[in-house]
Amino acid sequence: MMRESTTTTLFRLEAWKWTAMAILIYVFIVGWIVPLKPGIIKVSPDRAVAGEQVVIDVTGYNSAFASDSTQLRAWLSLAGDTVLSALHVQAWDDRHLSASFYIPSVFPVRQEAYPLTLILDHGIEGSSVLPNAIFITPASVQDTSELPLWYKDKIEHIHQKAGMQYPFRNILAETIRNTYFHVPMWFCMIILFGASAWYSLKYYKKGDIDADRRSVAFIKVGLIFGLGLVTGMLWAKNTWNAYWSWDVKQNMSAICLLIYAALMVMRSSVEDEMQKARLTAGYNMFAFVLLIPLLFIIPRMTDSLHPGNGGNPALGGEDLDNTMRMVFYPAVIGFILLGLWISQLVYRTDKLKGNL
Amino acid sequence: MLFPYVQGFPPKDTCYLYSHMNRILTLVATEARIELRERYAISGIVLYVLSSAFIVFSIWRQLPPKEWGLTFWVIFLFCSLMAVLKSFGRESEGRYFYYYTLYHPLELFVAKVVYNLILLLFIFLVLWFVLYVMAGNHIIRMGWFLTTGIMACTGLSFLLTLITSIAIKTQQNASLTSVMALPLMIPLLINILRLTAYASGTTPDENPWNEMMLLSSIISLVIGMSLWLFPYLWRS
Repeated sequence: MMRESTTTTLFRLEAWKWTAMAILIYVFIVGWIVPLKPGIIKVSPDRAVAGEQVVIDVTGYNSAFASDSTQLRAWLSLAGDTVLSALHVQAWDDRHLSASFYIPSVFPVRQEAYPLTLILDHGIEGSSVLPNAIFITPASVQDTSELPLWYKDKIEHIHQKAGMQYPFRNILAETIRNTYFHVPMWFCMIILFGASAWYSLKYYKKGDIDADRRSVAFIKVGLIFGLGLVTGMLWAKNTWNAYWSWDVKQNMSAICLLIYAALMVMRSSVEDEMQKARLTAGYNMFAFVLLIPLLFIIPRMTDSLHPGNGGNPALGGEDLDNTMRMVFYPAVIGFILLGLWISQLVYRTDKLKGNL
Repeated sequence: MLFPYVQGFPPKDTCYLYSHMNRILTLVATEARIELRERYAISGIVLYVLSSAFIVFSIWRQLPPKEWGLTFWVIFLFCSLMAVLKSFGRESEGRYFYYYTLYHPLELFVAKVVYNLILLLFIFLVLWFVLYVMAGNHIIRMGWFLTTGIMACTGLSFLLTLITSIAIKTQQNASLTSVMALPLMIPLLINILRLTAYASGTTPDENPWNEMMLLSSIISLVIGMSLWLFPYLWRS
């Protein structure tokens, strides 16, 4: 036994388990309690006719319209430089305000429909945006002299709210916090299945039954982390409006779990220990190699709702800003350490059961 | 020496490739002779294809191009599972031991794969003919469909032979083969379906070479992994 070297002493202290616990406690607390930035969840009416004055009622989320409402400004934007400033903004309470706009009867571009983006700015609370907030139908009588109205105003001096907040995304809203739990669970699952394949390779080379026990422990825990499928389904219910929408990423993940479940079934139907270990090692390595195109190549070649596939960016842009990175990366490390820890425990119990 | 091929592979023959080819062909011929001796074997496969095509067709009544491709590959999948499983399950434990003393595992594996490949190609052609007669032909690009079929047969025969060789070592081999093989077939199947959609002109995609590349790389993964793992899984 080489217990005397410094690294093994450190590991005997089990510092990494304490680290994992600390990180996960941090992730759970900070992930849940940090508020979102203010956002707009509803605008009514969401349709209007051009060439008329329109008053829209805005419902905010996490907003504080009533505090110092003189600082409130509102715009409707058709494209980058075609902006209409609000004639008048009236805050009713922290979450409701009304804004009146005059929509010119002519448009600088010709389109089928004219969706306008609503932008709010508040000196202390910061800005919020709702794309496609209101749809404008063209007027019957068009007065071309109103065209300059589109270019009169500019969006300037946008404020950012100070302090730590997660971004408000329109479809995600509060479910953006699931990024800290759903995504790291998948990372952890892939790492565990990879570790399992590695120990299968070890068993293939050395024929050591201990390597087989380890590899199976990794598969068992990896299957539990496959519950990331459930967190994903709950998330999908909130954002895609269905638990299961036959998205390519959902299908591939379910298949991945099926493969490993089949491996466990196969194990349970073999009596002989050595035979069981050898078949497991062979099938495990075969399956892991086939998982690579299944999980990482095919989803990228198809249209998908899931981020990271079919032209959808993953882990970038506004879905993961610097505030979220401060929780997301620790969460990945914490979940992976937790997975390794549970697998170690499963391995030890299996070993004890085997020795009885 | 009693077991000449177990200890060293390849053997130190002067033209060993030729001799291995000969031995593999002998094995394939033996397989085929056993299969043909029992006449119900081949006719069983044809009947299986016919009756499943009939069931599907009487449910659908008519097959538009898109459903034609899907139906084709679903029937093909289950036929091929049954056929490969049967070609393995036929043999007794004693005969495997006998083979084991005579042949290197790779020779046995390649022989099995070649035999299953012939079987799958036969199923492919029979099924194509049956669906052609029953539901009309919706394939515009015949060459593409044939190439896809040949590649699918190659990949599936390697994959199914390996998985069946694992499954026959367990107690409930018939159900386990499908449980273990079906999820692993899906990466192949997705590409096959896309290429079939291209061949029948039901997809706007005009560049199937991406899919072809992906399919051939998955197939080469399957071939490489199964050639590596079979000798290891086989000894017991």
